[in-house]
Amino acid sequence: MLRFAIRRLAMLVPVFLAVSLVIFMIIHLVPGDPLEHLIQVGSSPEQRAQMIARYGLDQPLLVQYGRWLAKIVTGDLGDAIVMRQPVARLIAENMPHSLALGGTALLFSTTVGIVTGVLAASFRDSLFDRTVMGFILLGSTLPSFWLALLMILMFAVQFEWFPVSGARSWDALVLPALTIGIGGTALIARVTRAAMIEIAGRDFVRVLQAKGVPFWRIQLRHVLQQAMLPVMTILGLRIGWILGGAVTVEYVFARPGLGSLLITALGQRDYPLVQGCLLMLAIAVMLGTLLGDLAQAALDPRLREAMGAR
Amino acid sequence: MKTMMKGSLLALGLATLAATAAPAQEATFVMTARLVGAPTYNPTKATKLNTATTLIFDRLVVQDADQSFHGQLASSWESSPDGMQWTFKLKPGVKFHNGEPFNAKTIEWWVPQFKGTENAFTVEAIERVEVVDDLTVRFHMKHPDPNLLFNLATSFMCVPEPKAFEALGDKFGVTEAIGTGPYKMQQFTVGQQTVLVRNDDYAWASDLSANKGPAKFKKLTFREIGEESTAYLELKTGGADMLVNVPTDFLPRIQADKAVKLVTIPGNELVYMPINTSVEPFTDIKVREGTAFAVNQKEILNSLYGGNGAAADTFLISSLKESQVDPKARISYDPERSKKLFDEAGWKAGPDGIRVKDGKRLEVKLWTQNGTEFKRLVEIVQAQLKAVGMQADISIVDAGSINAQYRKKTEHQLAIRSYQWTNADIVDWFFAAKRAGYPNVSMFNDPEAERLNDIAMNKSKTWDERVANFTRYHEYVLSQYPFAPIYQPAQSLAYGKRIVMPEKIRGTGLYGPTMLDIAPAN
Repeated sequence: MLRFAIRRLAMLVPVFLAVSLVIFMIIHLVPGDPLEHLIQVGSSPEQRAQMIARYGLDQPLLVQYGRWLAKIVTGDLGDAIVMRQPVARLIAENMPHSLALGGTALLFSTTVGIVTGVLAASFRDSLFDRTVMGFILLGSTLPSFWLALLMILMFAVQFEWFPVSGARSWDALVLPALTIGIGGTALIARVTRAAMIEIAGRDFVRVLQAKGVPFWRIQLRHVLQQAMLPVMTILGLRIGWILGGAVTVEYVFARPGLGSLLITALGQRDYPLVQGCLLMLAIAVMLGTLLGDLAQAALDPRLREAMGAR
Repeated sequence: MKTMMKGSLLALGLATLAATAAPAQEATFVMTARLVGAPTYNPTKATKLNTATTLIFDRLVVQDADQSFHGQLASSWESSPDGMQWTFKLKPGVKFHNGEPFNAKTIEWWVPQFKGTENAFTVEAIERVEVVDDLTVRFHMKHPDPNLLFNLATSFMCVPEPKAFEALGDKFGVTEAIGTGPYKMQQFTVGQQTVLVRNDDYAWASDLSANKGPAKFKKLTFREIGEESTAYLELKTGGADMLVNVPTDFLPRIQADKAVKLVTIPGNELVYMPINTSVEPFTDIKVREGTAFAVNQKEILNSLYGGNGAAADTFLISSLKESQVDPKARISYDPERSKKLFDEAGWKAGPDGIRVKDGKRLEVKLWTQNGTEFKRLVEIVQAQLKAVGMQADISIVDAGSINAQYRKKTEHQLAIRSYQWTNADIVDWFFAAKRAGYPNVSMFNDPEAERLNDIAMNKSKTWDERVANFTRYHEYVLSQYPFAPIYQPAQSLAYGKRIVMPEKIRGTGLYGPTMLDIAPAN
């Protein structure tokens, strides 16, 4: 298992390099630059040229990338040009908010998704199955921006149950977490349902049924346990996806977090900050996938063998 | 015992009642998109500052909506006839939030702080600062700068406390911000919110405030909400007391909402259409003039903005004296003149109404940046141009990259843009040849304009002289039609029933002087 984990970790290095290059190039190839936000009415074209040189923006892109990469391997994400603060500090201040939001959303989509999936599989093709799965599917297809505004209008403006925006109290977490969570719920419910149905058709389940083991005992103790394998992979992938999905949601709900920070940074073309935020999101996706794989490998020895580790 | 408990319960009940009946001591203000994302409150280095800045810090002078100047930290000032010396008398008894005194030495330290920063241009003309006595300071100038008072009145020239400024370095304005203003910064999260608490010692307000003492709210929270719907809904549900700048798209909804009041003050913004003078067909002045006179400003004002604000007929906001140009120089809708000019330029109406010259149709590119307001505006202008025989194809470009596209210099023809500025030097910023591409989107390069620019920018000794020189320069630029003026938005504030606004809003926007007069409702 340890060898498997090490191999799996080593695979992340080239992925990280490729991702960092893509992140760097994408933002630099988009027109516009951070100086638009630093040049004042009254300053001269010469001052603009001086600033371009000061921030190293006159160097070839590959040189700039090399410098950035050399810095990040030592743990230094550089200083934000427009924000004028260390990128690492800005990310550290905002990350806890995103983790709290992502964590709550993940918890919501996992519990609701698994419970719904189990019930839907247990009452397969019933009215309950079709209705609930239909609703969940609908929720997951709505754009998060639109869903967020719908949530605000319904639960904050109409019923006044939760605040419209901000992060000053715990209840401000509910609507944004629901907005993000709904998309994941559908996915987890579908995967759980499909796996439960597939496993319920296997021979060992028939044997258990023949032995007279009660239905719910078979479903929860035997079928669900095995159905969790694909769910684990999905959960791992969701970790990174949720942080990425939080970008628009944080913005609409005016919440602090990596998403809000990224949107501000993108608008200002604050290169080091955009790069730092995107890198964090990419790392979250990579780690999430790794965790999912490790969890699956821990539960299923065949996978470890397939990866060549014994 | 029972009676005693009853008594305490009664007292507690009364106290609670009294507490709910008393006016609220706190208020929440929301800053929307345009004010979101100021990264620091360090006035000397920041290029973006928000409303809260002028509550934490004071400036030497402040400017009223009519562009007149009033002392804030300065009690009076005078300049020598040759413009080479400015002497400021400072108010006595002024203290920073940390107890340090404010005096002439503060100014002597402060001016050099701008050197090498993005805001260096504000003090560029000052050679040195002389401390005459504890409360008198003299600026010795490298060259006359009649614009000095304007610079001193901007938020970028708020005065920070020297010791804290030096001790905190880059953290000044982020973790702490010490000024002499009516509020102290308690907490600041970039892009999220700033919490201010009242400076109870404050007693040096400018004459733009009726209230000379401490502010009326104990605590103010300035939230930053970029998403306009969310900002509006916060006000509607009572989560916020005021929208500091109402997004134009929400004006009709706020006007119809009885729970919310709307107040408008003269704006400092101008919407206009730059015309790229370096590309066909706009190299021909007649085509430019024809295009400029095809824009129906009043129709835009009424149909798009419900009559809020004013039509623009020059390049400067109408509160600036330099906008008082010869009536003949003003550019306002005249379709007959427009059509005649196109005819004279050889562009004759084709069978489908679009003009044609040498077999070529009058088709141009019309750019704008994304955002609902710009999108609607550009569609109206497109229809207005079509009415005189010009077909304009719209391109909507991301706001973050549009300036880079202008820098390519020849790819754009017409555009719809806006700027916010309360000084005539904006004519230099947008029309000086050395800034071609961006900000000189019109690619305007004219020897006579350059000559008048030099006089206005560098040869004016006094404010009146500067006004006269800039008026002349502005008038000349108007006569060359490198743009079409469109609209002057008003600044709109929307507020709920928990606060009372002063009868008159003073200053060039909702800044410190007015904020001192805002009170909790009884």
